[in-house]
Amino acid sequence: MTWQCRLLGRIMAAILLFAVGATEAAVRNYTLYITAGSHTINGAGGATLSAWGYSDVAGSPKIPGPVLTAYEGDTVNITVVNNHTLNHNFVIQGVTTDATAIAPGGNRVYSFTASTAGSYLYSDTLNSAINREMGLYGALLVGPADGSNKAWTNGPSYSFQRTWVIGEMDKVRWNDVAGSGGTVNTSIYKPNYFLMNGLGGFDAMGDPNTTIDGVVGTSALVRIVNGGQFSHALHFHGNHVQVLTINGVRQISPYKLVDAINIPPMGTADVLYVLNQLGEYPMHVHTAQMETANGVYLNGVATMIMMH
Amino acid sequence: MFPANRMKLSLVAALLCAPLAYTTAQAANINVTRNVSSLNKTMSDGVRVTFWTFSGALPAAAVEVGVYPDGTTTTDTLNLTLSMGMMTPQDSAPYNGHTIHMHGADVKTSEDGVPETYNDVNGDTYTWTPTRDMAGSYMYHCHVHTVKHLEMGMYGPLIVRPKNASGTWLNQLTHNTATAYDYVQNYVLSTVDPAYHTATGDSTVFADYNPKYYMIAGNEGKTTGAPAISLTAAKSKKVALRLIGIHSVSSTFTVKDGSGNAKPFTIYTQDGRALATPQSVTSLDISPGQRFDVIFTTPSTAGTWYPQVTYKNLRDGGTYTNGTVYGRVTF
Ligand SMILES: [Cu+2]
Ligand SMILES: [Cu+2]
Repeated sequence: MTWQCRLLGRIMAAILLFAVGATEAAVRNYTLYITAGSHTINGAGGATLSAWGYSDVAGSPKIPGPVLTAYEGDTVNITVVNNHTLNHNFVIQGVTTDATAIAPGGNRVYSFTASTAGSYLYSDTLNSAINREMGLYGALLVGPADGSNKAWTNGPSYSFQRTWVIGEMDKVRWNDVAGSGGTVNTSIYKPNYFLMNGLGGFDAMGDPNTTIDGVVGTSALVRIVNGGQFSHALHFHGNHVQVLTINGVRQISPYKLVDAINIPPMGTADVLYVLNQLGEYPMHVHTAQMETANGVYLNGVATMIMMH
Repeated sequence: MFPANRMKLSLVAALLCAPLAYTTAQAANINVTRNVSSLNKTMSDGVRVTFWTFSGALPAAAVEVGVYPDGTTTTDTLNLTLSMGMMTPQDSAPYNGHTIHMHGADVKTSEDGVPETYNDVNGDTYTWTPTRDMAGSYMYHCHVHTVKHLEMGMYGPLIVRPKNASGTWLNQLTHNTATAYDYVQNYVLSTVDPAYHTATGDSTVFADYNPKYYMIAGNEGKTTGAPAISLTAAKSKKVALRLIGIHSVSSTFTVKDGSGNAKPFTIYTQDGRALATPQSVTSLDISPGQRFDVIFTTPSTAGTWYPQVTYKNLRDGGTYTNGTVYGRVTF
């Protein structure tokens, strides 16, 4: 909703500016609070895990962090406030390079001009991936300067978009240990929770921000960002997808058509799903345990594609 | 559930009537039936593992359906039947029964074999009419409690293969003659965690995957001397391999000579769609669910090459102990 509203504003502004022959660049200010708390996976097999997250409201963590949006040319200022008892940082892969630690109680401002439309992973790169595993990751989306529903300027058009921030958590060996101040043995990682936008599959299959749900003839730009440490091999039923970008690299038309795509740890991809036929279909990871929540089938990385 | 079933019945009726409307000389109905049966296999370490298979084979026998050249309106229709009443072995509810999912076929929901989207789990016929842009490799597999049933062995190659205008199979990957081959083999990639074979229901066993056996075409093939799959070819000929990923970890495919030098091969199709530009490489990562069709040319002097798959963990791509499985092509 906010995206559409913003978009409408952008289009109107663009028309106005076009009339006077000027370019427009907005200033976007975000504040993220690093917070310790818990994260709950609902449904059978689910659990409440110790977690750390970036949140747009101080108080409790958000897993993943909020989706940040900007358009090419915008000035983006992100203030990160560390409300936790450990050092943390904030790096947008491919966008910012300042990996300086923010001490407990401190804050730091990251300013940049959004320059290349696409999907980016932001995360805490400190502490041997423990900070990221605890939930400190999220997505930045950059749209084209004209604010249009295109993957990039003069790129492929879409009707609506979805962002899938995927990841995993190892409750026993990582979250329980780091959450209580212990030392994680990072050489062993056996995640038992596999998440889409912080959700197990039972929630993700009904979450309007996650499901591809629309009218036949429309198309969804699906922005996939892997904050986890496992490769996620996603399989789409119902239709193949067009691969538009891989790890920020724009592909060349005609775009490759695949029904399975692998997103490696900290990898990203933008794919276009054309809603081609009536029906209901799953989208799920094709690796055994990653479809489950602690072994409970379909409460892992899975969502629905609803075409009507 | 009932509306979906009714929809399916009316669809079957429509299909039965359809041939009267557009009769074509060469159109084929490809009717294939599979049943469910168990298979006890003695693994390389002497341990016996129970598999569930389609009609007793691991992987299941390949199913081929034709597509015709540009300018012809002919199509083949695959009717892939999982026989009713042949559902043993199976687990108890809610993961009872079996289905067939034609992975990558993008069929109607009622043909998709997914129990959660109202498909029957007690036998059914799954119908697909591919078009010529879909030439390439797919797989068919059970879609009940896939975390277990795939692991149990319920999978096989599903191939969309070009025919000429009069309906004769072509030895090509697609209708592009650049994809012509002299030999073809299906390399079905799979892995086995024996703990998954004895666990049932929503067991925590399914939260952690620890593969112990690594396979191509249902065989371990741990050494070049005892490969999982082999081919005797002539010199200077084209060998096509259909790489079908039903494994549950990461993997890399290479073709090496006896000294371990990687040989180039060309990727023509991925996930049943021709690449706009065929890609010549010496290494190819294959992830679960992916398929690639590749061709290499045997040299003009006699020798042996070893197409091989190295299975890797999902975290950092580290290779598993004994995680390389060898094929062999002698020429
Ligand atoms: Cu089954
Ligand atoms: Cu599949």
